[in-house]
Amino acid sequence: RLAILPSIIRGDWQSHTQCTNPGSIQTPLHHSSSSQTVKKVIEINPYLLGTMAGGAADCMYWERVLSKHCRIYELRNKERISVAAASKLLANMVYQYKGMGLSMGTMICGWDKRGPGLYYVNEEGTRLSGGMFAVGSGSTYAYGVLDSNHRPDMTPEEAYDLGRRAICHATHRDAYSGGVVNLYHMQQSGWIKVSQNDVSELQYKFREGN
Amino acid sequence: MDFVIGIQGEDFVAVAGDTVASSNVLILKHDHNKMFKLSKKILLLCVGETGDTVQFAEYIQKNVQLYNMRNGYEMSPTAAANFTRRNLADYLRSRTPYHVNLLLAGCDDIDGPSLFYMDYLASMARVPFAAHGYASHLTITLLDRFYRPSEFLCPLSCPLRVKCLMQ
Amino acid sequence: MPTVMEDCVGAIQHRFSPYSFNGGTLLAFAGSDFALLAADSRLSEGFGIHNRNAARLHKLSESCVLACCGFQGDCLSLLRILEARVKMYKQTHQRPMTCPAIASLLSQLLYSHRFFPYYCYCLIAGLDSQGQGAVFSFDPVGSYERVPFSSLGSASAQLQPLLDSQLSSGVQLSASQAEQLARDVFVSAAERDVYTGDSVQVCLVSSVEVHRDSHSLRKD
Repeated sequence: RLAILPSIIRGDWQSHTQCTNPGSIQTPLHHSSSSQTVKKVIEINPYLLGTMAGGAADCMYWERVLSKHCRIYELRNKERISVAAASKLLANMVYQYKGMGLSMGTMICGWDKRGPGLYYVNEEGTRLSGGMFAVGSGSTYAYGVLDSNHRPDMTPEEAYDLGRRAICHATHRDAYSGGVVNLYHMQQSGWIKVSQNDVSELQYKFREGN
Repeated sequence: MDFVIGIQGEDFVAVAGDTVASSNVLILKHDHNKMFKLSKKILLLCVGETGDTVQFAEYIQKNVQLYNMRNGYEMSPTAAANFTRRNLADYLRSRTPYHVNLLLAGCDDIDGPSLFYMDYLASMARVPFAAHGYASHLTITLLDRFYRPSEFLCPLSCPLRVKCLMQ
Repeated sequence: MPTVMEDCVGAIQHRFSPYSFNGGTLLAFAGSDFALLAADSRLSEGFGIHNRNAARLHKLSESCVLACCGFQGDCLSLLRILEARVKMYKQTHQRPMTCPAIASLLSQLLYSHRFFPYYCYCLIAGLDSQGQGAVFSFDPVGSYERVPFSSLGSASAQLQPLLDSQLSSGVQLSASQAEQLARDVFVSAAERDVYTGDSVQVCLVSSVEVHRDSHSLRKD
């Protein structure tokens, strides 16, 4: 009882897939445990999304600091910050606190001059670019679904379905995952929110075999 | 599971490294480059704790490039290796040591090719061949047995095969 | 005589702990044009009760009330700082701080102590700039979320499922229904949770006033 237990959104996890066709990135993710409605996709600006897994406060705070830096960059340089630069800002910030107990697994996704970008950043300061990531306690289950069904030539609708399916199956196996799947699509014109589905309803839908 | 290897020949150094970025049991990325070009003729291969590797290698890379800009000529491989080792040693005694293992390969116009082995405790040795990672246990003995500098033309065939098996 | 037991015990560590847990339960509802905040008034530590009439609800502005429980020392420190910051804001900008702004400030205050946190569970209830009821629920390191209802503190594990079952279908409560529900759930919390009891203080924030009320609970 004397220990401090900051509410960690255990088991939250998210996955990101990115199609190579006219550049669509989708960010399905889901929420969990103490709160079923935490927004795990943090809208940094109209062209950047961040996701949270790990310590809720850590992700929330640092992505807010990041959005401040992105805005300042935009005002100083009269152009939007690139996804690579934004993710590096975050990685450098958390790297300074390495080993001090921060907990965050995050994906930064956005659209810049180079097209769609997706980066994975964690509390160790790791920063990786890639086309598909899953983060959080259920990520292993999500990878199983994603890797076996992902094709480089997917249409956005197919990608939406795959994202939802991956999250849904992960919530089924992972005790710490559940709630709703929030699905975002990053386009050249910025992100749009595609859908918000309760996983328990999706599970019945997928079980019926479609 | 990180693995990098370097072998020096008569007028070249051949280096190779895997490109997997893993975290615990998961492979996060299959095309992660662990080599950093310090200058035209110096290459740094960096493995170790994730986060530290990129941070340290880029720090060294930018400083070597700065040296080039300030002085108008490039750092020699020996100088770059000593600079890297010195930084590693200084950080080892600080509160934030870098946990990285390095190979530095370079070709100097006068001194010819050279390969330097460095570990996270800031030891350094100039060696004819070296490897970091679990697979080094398997490859280093093969190199001990088969390494002949003068006959060395097709440098990576044998250890690379072992590396492939390992992966 | 040394015993086997003593050999097995190993090193006994005496470490100073800067924290204590003083109990307390908080509850809040957000309505369409009101917010309701309730907290019990028992301040306890271990098997003892320090105070049966402790104040856990603190008015920060005409449209915002804070409730906090956990470690009383940290709660008091945090409250002093927050009150001062809210006052400074008002004097600087010539207008009161809005409820969402106070929530954001509290989040940053809590996160500024990320590596030695304030052991406080906080709820903020009030009206937002549109006059709608707002409830913000915090964890000790500053993660926060706007929610329709929430409970925190020692009996939150009992109260939260009850609220979920009663309210998650999107029922809109009137102010008097909300107050009645708050009183009822605190009666049941006081039955089972030893750190909750004595009395429940209720604070109703509406556009007219911040109305306070108190109802007695079990005192054992």
